[in-house]
Amino acid sequence: MATVEERIKKVTARVLRLDPKEIRPEHSFTEDLGAESVQSIELVAMFEEEFGIEMDEDAALSVSTVGGAVDFITNVCKEQGVDVE
Amino acid sequence: MRLILVDKSGDHRQNFHPLTLSRPLWELRCGMTSLGEKLQAKIGASDIAYFLPEYMAEVYRAKTDRPVNDPASLTGADLLIVDARVKADGFTVPTGRSEVGVNEQGEVLYARITAVDLKKVNGADIAAFLESAKAALPNVRCELPTWNYTWDLILASPHQIAADFAIAGRSGIEGTVEEPSAIRGNRNDVYIARGAKVHPMVVIDAEHGPIYIEEDVEVHPFTRIEGPCYIGRKSILLGTKCREGNSIGPWCRLGGEVEESIIQGYSNKYHDGFLGHAYVGEWVNLGALTTNSDLKNDYTTVSVMLDGRHAIDTGSTKVGCLIGDHTKTAVGAFFNTGAYVGAMAIIMAAGKALPKYIPSFAWFVEGVVTKGFGHKTLYETAATAMSRRKCQWTEADRAMWDAIFEMTAGPRDEAVKKGRRAMLK
Repeated sequence: MATVEERIKKVTARVLRLDPKEIRPEHSFTEDLGAESVQSIELVAMFEEEFGIEMDEDAALSVSTVGGAVDFITNVCKEQGVDVE
Repeated sequence: MRLILVDKSGDHRQNFHPLTLSRPLWELRCGMTSLGEKLQAKIGASDIAYFLPEYMAEVYRAKTDRPVNDPASLTGADLLIVDARVKADGFTVPTGRSEVGVNEQGEVLYARITAVDLKKVNGADIAAFLESAKAALPNVRCELPTWNYTWDLILASPHQIAADFAIAGRSGIEGTVEEPSAIRGNRNDVYIARGAKVHPMVVIDAEHGPIYIEEDVEVHPFTRIEGPCYIGRKSILLGTKCREGNSIGPWCRLGGEVEESIIQGYSNKYHDGFLGHAYVGEWVNLGALTTNSDLKNDYTTVSVMLDGRHAIDTGSTKVGCLIGDHTKTAVGAFFNTGAYVGAMAIIMAAGKALPKYIPSFAWFVEGVVTKGFGHKTLYETAATAMSRRKCQWTEADRAMWDAIFEMTAGPRDEAVKKGRRAMLK
C-alpha cells in the first residue's frame, strides 16, 4: 500500500494538475502549488474520498502544507479507525 | 378572543421549504403583507399568541413581544386556534359555541374553544392540545382553502397586492417624485409613502394594477415599475425593470429585471439578470447576471423537487426558483425552471443551468455540491451581512441554524457523495 504522503501527493497532483514528483512536503498548497480557494475545497473532498474519512472543514482548511496534510490526515485516520501506512 | 396562530411540525412544512426552514409559515409574504397579518386582520384580534417548531422559537421570540410556545396562552380566554395554512380570504370566523374545523384528511384547521370549554381540553404540546380539542368538542367538517406550497403564494401574489392595496385604502404621493418622471394609469392606484424618493426618469405604470411604495424607499433613475407592485420600506430600486406582480420586502436592493416575484426582505439583487416567479428569502445575495428560468420551452407545467428526490408538478407553466435565507450566488449563476436552492448555500456558476435541487448549506463549486469551507464560515458571513443592516447574529440564530444543518443533512450528504463521484471521473 502506498504511504499517506504518496497518496496525498497523488491526489494533489490530480486536482492541481501537477507532476507528483514536483510536490514536496514543505510546499504550501496555495503559495507553492497554486491552489485557489475552489481547489482547496476540491482537495479536501478528494482527500476524504481517498482515505474514506470525514474531516472537519475548518481544521482541514487550516492545514497549509503538504507535510501538514500528511500529519493531519494520519491523525484523522487513526481517530476514525482507518488503517494507513 | 385570543388568536393562536399555529405552525405545527409536520410534513406540510416541507412544502414551504426552504423559506420555512428558518421562519414560521405565517411570516411568508403574499401581496403586501404576510399570511399572519392577513389572518390577524380578518379575525380582528389584538390578543395573539404563536406556536411553532421549538427549534426556531428562541429566534422568533426576539422578533415579537407576543407569547411564543407558551402553554399559558392556551388558558384564561376564548381561543381561536388557526393553522397558518388557512387562507384568510376564505375563512369565516366562527363565533358562539366551541367547534373544531376538520378537513377531509382529519387535520384540525381551526379550533374555537370558549373559556368555559377549556377545562375539557389538555395536551402536553399544541399538537396534543388540538387532538384533545378534536376529541372533546363538536367537529365541523370544513373545506377551507389553504396555502399548500410556496408557489401558491407566488402565483396569488399579484392579485393579492391589488386586494391588499384596496384594503389599505391609501393613495397619493406623500414622498417626493422628481421631474421628469411619469405616472401612468390612474393616480389613485399609486401610493408613495412619506420619505420615499423617486428620482427623475422613472416610470410608475399603474395602468394594470396598483403600486404601493413604502416609507424611505429610493427609486433610482431609469427604473420602470409596473403594477400591481409592492415595495417594502427602505428598499432601493436601481434602474430596475420592475415588471408586474412583485412583492418586495423591506431593506432590499433590486436591479435588473424582476417579474411576479416575492422577496422576503433584506436581500440584494443589485445587478442585471432576470428573476421571475421566484420566492427569495432574507439575507440572500444574487451576484451579477444571476438569472432564473420561469417558463419551459415546451410550455409544459413546471415541477419542483422539495426533497431532492421527488418532483412535484406545480400545475403551473410559470414557476421560477425558491431560494432560502442567507444563500449567495456568484456572477452568472443560472437557475433552471422550478429550481430549489436551499438556505445558507454558496452557489458558483457552472457555465450552464445549475441542478434543480441544491441542498441547504451546500457549497456548489465546479459543478458539484461540496462541503466547502463548512457551515461555520457561512455563519461568519451571515453575521457580517446582518451587521451591515444593523441586525445582529445571535446565539439563538446559531442554535437554530445548527438545528437546520442537522435537519437538512440527508439530501446534502447524498449530493456531496454524488459530487465526489463526479469529481473522480
